[in-house]
Amino acid sequence: MLPPRPTNRFMLPRCEGCGKFHFYPRPACPHCGGARLAWMEPSGRGEVYSHSTVHRAPSAAFKDDVPYVIAIVKTDEGPHLLSRVVGVSPEKVSIGMRLRVRLGDRGPEFEPEA
Amino acid sequence: MNAFIAGVGESPLGKTPDLNAMNLQHAAALAALADAGLTLAEVDGLLTTPIRVAQWAMPVGMVAQGLGIRPGYLATLDVAGASGTAMVHHAAMAVATGQAKTVLCVAGQNQLTNVSRDATVAQLASVGWAHPEYEAPYGPLIPTLYALVAQRHMHEYGTTPEQLAEVAVAIRGHAALNPLAHKREPITVADVLASKMITTPLHMLDCAIVSDGAAAFVVTAHPGKKKPVKLLGQGYGFTHAYIGEHDNIATTGAVQSGREAFAMAGVTPADIDVAQLYDCFTITVIAELEDLGFCPKGEGGRFVEGGRIRLGGELPVTTHGGLLSAAHPGLAGGMFHVVEAVRQLRGECGARQVRDAELALAHGNGGIIGIHCTLILGNA
Ligand SMILES: [Zn+2]
Repeated sequence: MLPPRPTNRFMLPRCEGCGKFHFYPRPACPHCGGARLAWMEPSGRGEVYSHSTVHRAPSAAFKDDVPYVIAIVKTDEGPHLLSRVVGVSPEKVSIGMRLRVRLGDRGPEFEPEA
Repeated sequence: MNAFIAGVGESPLGKTPDLNAMNLQHAAALAALADAGLTLAEVDGLLTTPIRVAQWAMPVGMVAQGLGIRPGYLATLDVAGASGTAMVHHAAMAVATGQAKTVLCVAGQNQLTNVSRDATVAQLASVGWAHPEYEAPYGPLIPTLYALVAQRHMHEYGTTPEQLAEVAVAIRGHAALNPLAHKREPITVADVLASKMITTPLHMLDCAIVSDGAAAFVVTAHPGKKKPVKLLGQGYGFTHAYIGEHDNIATTGAVQSGREAFAMAGVTPADIDVAQLYDCFTITVIAELEDLGFCPKGEGGRFVEGGRIRLGGELPVTTHGGLLSAAHPGLAGGMFHVVEAVRQLRGECGARQVRDAELALAHGNGGIIGIHCTLILGNA
């Protein structure tokens, strides 16, 4: 079984059998069924696959963040993952925008590629 | 498979502070049984769904106890928003195998008055539609997860906010003709676009309401006493549990569920007289219209224009007023689509009756467009 996700770097599960990354973590590789899996560091680059700017906080914990951008990020390695796009005003975010990862308090977040 | 929906009914809908979940389900059950000309004593099968407003460790046991019955077949079904349509199929299997003769399907709760709206939003957000470890910490609303679908659909196919809004307007227009509906005041496209932005591109009026209420239907092996309504076909479609798993989010599992249901019924989308589509958000309806085959992929936005999904249009959609306007008490919300399909096929819908409706489709969508169940119902 995979250990918990490392927090000091951006990591995705990768299959040692076929070499492909996947997400979410699971017992076996979704590409080949292989069970030898490890957390590996991808390039940390990707693009906006879809996005939404949240104007109504789901709970008090997010009230100070509004408005904020939730996005599905298509990583260059393939896996899609939900995250936030930060470091850019929400109305400037668009599908296809190139991104790079940065570590935030909530987990990996993405900002526009320089 | 010979299975009929012999009776349908609902509790009072909307805001019912004096009724708890069991009261609501009891009222709906009695209404459906009375409609079928049956009594509780004749019920030998029972299906329900989980509820969120109370801690029912064994929902179907709680409901059986509340109704005072000891059915020989019983189950709690949960395929999220697809539960309403899937219940019909599960009940049909029970009567087809002889396990039961009269299966009562009933569910609902006081989703509106049990808790504050803020608490409802927080509670829904915490249920786990976003992955608790990898997604919830970023703060998506459930509407955000659908907004991602809408944004991508707009990007790929040019769907517009006005087209999304037309779905809400058409369905509210139907609710205005349904005396039982929770929200009946007509709205315009401008009203939808001017309503509070929740999570771009979805406004408040692009989102389902929250209601108190329960629905029920009775599935039997025989046609029953009213104009017969038979299950002609059903299909399921599953693509993903968490939205990040689905690499093509502008397309839903309705592709598969629709294909299977139509093949089993031996009919095509063009044959359908009325479609009770699952309408948790306006984008859901547009994607379902495409994925069920009512129009080519990507044309859903243009399809809803010109009154095509309104009463009198080419394909009246969700004629009771749906989750957007009639009733949305949680998982039971999709049952009302079945109730309405039956009433349309019987010709009981009064001002909102689709003329000569002989073939109806009812569709349920669960999770974040991840799980689907399509039914095709017809006069036997
Ligand atoms: Zn592999």
